[in-house]
Amino acid sequence: MSDLAVAALLAGTILVASTVSVEIGLSVALIELFGGFVVGNAFSLDIPSWLSFVGSFAGIVLTFLAGAEVDVPQFRREWRASLSIGLVSFFAPFAVVALLCYYGLDWSRRQAEIGGLALSTTSLAVVYAVLVETGLNRELVGKRIMAATFVTDICTVAGLTVLFVKPTVWIVPFAAASVGLIVALPRLSPWFFSRYGDRVIEPEIKLVFALLFLLMWLGGRAHSQAALPAFVLGLVMSGHYVQHRTEQERMRVVAFAFLTPFFFLKGGMNVSASALWANLGVLGLLFAGKMVPKLGGVFPLGRRFTAPHGTFTTLLMSTGLTFGTITSLYGLNAGIIDHTQFSLLVSVVVLSAIVPIAIAQRFFQPRVAVA
Amino acid sequence: MPFERILVAIDGSEGSGRAFAKAIELAKLAGASLTALAIEGPLPAYAATIAEVEEVKREKDVFFGRLAEEARRDAELAGVAVDVVVRAGHAAELISHVAAEGGYDLVVLGHRGHFLRDHLLGSTADRVAEHAPCPVMIVK
Repeated sequence: MSDLAVAALLAGTILVASTVSVEIGLSVALIELFGGFVVGNAFSLDIPSWLSFVGSFAGIVLTFLAGAEVDVPQFRREWRASLSIGLVSFFAPFAVVALLCYYGLDWSRRQAEIGGLALSTTSLAVVYAVLVETGLNRELVGKRIMAATFVTDICTVAGLTVLFVKPTVWIVPFAAASVGLIVALPRLSPWFFSRYGDRVIEPEIKLVFALLFLLMWLGGRAHSQAALPAFVLGLVMSGHYVQHRTEQERMRVVAFAFLTPFFFLKGGMNVSASALWANLGVLGLLFAGKMVPKLGGVFPLGRRFTAPHGTFTTLLMSTGLTFGTITSLYGLNAGIIDHTQFSLLVSVVVLSAIVPIAIAQRFFQPRVAVA
Repeated sequence: MPFERILVAIDGSEGSGRAFAKAIELAKLAGASLTALAIEGPLPAYAATIAEVEEVKREKDVFFGRLAEEARRDAELAGVAVDVVVRAGHAAELISHVAAEGGYDLVVLGHRGHFLRDHLLGSTADRVAEHAPCPVMIVK
């Protein structure tokens, strides 16, 4: 199939995914992942290089946006109470899954680390939606859960950037550029955005994209990944975006209209139905490898810091989606994991977005206060 | 009169409009207090980004804010005082819960809401009829 034929097919899939998402109230990302899975397996499509490129950039843009969505003042207030939950939520499944993959499934050390990282995440967006629906986002418990989710996420992106570094001289410019941009951008942006912003040609979005491409290139030269600096760059820009919502909206429009659909489609297209079918037992093992340490590790802390919603908190902290997919795709693109391992990891990530939330909402949903 | 506290569910659909009109009528006849529960419906499930959730929430807030205003105006025109409560969540669960917590003695709702889910999974009305702690009037 030609590049244009693939593009037309994927554009149609993206359109259908967005309309289905609106109609049934399900996340567009999940439907795009599923759409990619169906299209990829039905047409036996190879991933074209342009899709791989756009998808990789979209992953970094998603990471930047995730950083920019963090409520920093709230995190500053709640980080002490949330630190232990967030750290355990990351390290317990990371260690268990990595050991399971290495010793139980005979994966290499680097493959096991990708497995551990992909299945240690907690989905900020999945958690946020449930907290808003229950009204808990306005209460201390909800704020603590959000802060804990942030701690887990930053551990994931730090692991992704640090664990796979091969020491070369390029580490120095990568680290210097990362620190320099993180320090400079929040200081530069008020001037730059006021002088060049608010135009249809969007220089402010181009500035962010140029910096993310620079970080990706330097990260690649350093055999690392730009996830951590991209996330922190988003984080330091979050205050600016709170004051300039329109800029953030435009950035989101560009990202969600064109970039992120290709990221999730690419993720879905790389999932092999036959590999999943042949490894259902491993899928179950990996799912248990994520859930059991999450539940066992977070529950005692949830009971202490988010009472009376300890079980609800534990289930929310067991979710995952975006960073799990980003980590798995990084492992696949970098040649660390193969298609079967990728298929298994992404499927467990998707299952972990759905199963804990379904249980939490069915059995442990906090009662909504009646006005 | 048998009904003192009436809860009516509204979501902007034609069915809920008919249910609201009937609830006003009943409240007037019975001299009952009337509460309209405006149900925003669930936010996007399993979202990948907070932006997706925030956007839908914002749209719903605007839509249901307007709906609440219209409900107050219509009730006022009919000479009935109405308390409007706007909530996000799953309709059947929320209506049953609010009916129980608020001690309502009648729930009024439309036969079909405007969420596609209602058409695919059986109506909210069926589930409320099953779980509500008080009589339920389903308006066709």
